[in-house]
Order: sequence, then C-alpha cells, then structure tokens
Amino acid sequence: MSDDPDKVWLTGLTLKEAEEVHSYLIDGTRVFGAIALLAHVLVAVSTPWLG
Amino acid sequence: MNNAKMWLVVKPTVGIPLFLGAVAVGSFAVHVAVLSNTSWVADFLSGQELGSGDTAARAQEQTILPASADAADLPMYLEADAAGAESMRVILPDGRTATLVVDDLTSAALIE
Repeated sequence: MSDDPDKVWLTGLTLKEAEEVHSYLIDGTRVFGAIALLAHVLVAVSTPWLG
Repeated sequence: MNNAKMWLVVKPTVGIPLFLGAVAVGSFAVHVAVLSNTSWVADFLSGQELGSGDTAARAQEQTILPASADAADLPMYLEADAAGAESMRVILPDGRTATLVVDDLTSAALIE
C-alpha cells in the first residue's frame, strides 16, 4: 500500500474517502445489530424459541 | 480504521450491495429454517396460542389411530394369490387390506 494519503486508487477513492465510506458501513451495521439484538431478546422472552 | 482499505480495491457500488445482499439472504435463510422446523411461528402468524398447532395435529392423529389400536390383539394375515399373480393381500388387524406387488414372485420365494 502506498503511503501517499491523497493517492486516487483504482476504485476512484482516496484513503480518507475509503475510511469515510467504511465508517458509514460500520455505523449502519451497529444500528442494524442493536435493533436485531433487541428483536431477538423480545422473541426469546415471548416465544418458545431456543426452548 | 480496520478494513477500510478494502474500498480502495473494491468499488463501493459493488461491495455495499453485495454486503447488504449477503446479510439479507443470510437472515432470510435462517428465518425460513426456523419457520419450517417449528410450529409456533405459524401459530403466531395465524393469531393462535403458541403451541396450539401441535396440539391440534396430535388430536388429528388420535382420531386416525384407534381403529387399529382397538384390534391390537387380532392377528395380521398375509394372503398369497392362488392364481400365481405377482401380488399378495395383507389383511391388517382392523380389517383394512393392502396389496403387495412382488416383481418376480418365483425368485422371491427361492431366496432363503
């Protein structure tokens, strides 16, 4: 990997832009995970799921 | 940030739909598996008490079973066809009959 932070890579992104894209993806995954976790806790409490 | 450099070699227009699609397909598959291996999801979706589907299915089975259960001490007969046709009749204890078809009755009789 190049050390130049302003290098435009094959995808048309610089390292800074790639990190920005990645931060949104991570945030989205965390929100999705939190909602899913809550939903699974509610299902585990209110149904015979997992015995 | 960990793994952020993947977007330098994978176009986000390809990678993000792929990632979201994988999550969607994976979670759909898991939910279908739960749905097809349990009865209480169907109960929930049809507004019935959870577990009542199993109870109803068991009640259904019990209405079918007693016919042979009452006749449990009666013997079961196997009736060979006198005309030599490749079939036999099974007479179940409750009186019901079934026909067994043997592909080659002569060879079948010879096998010890």
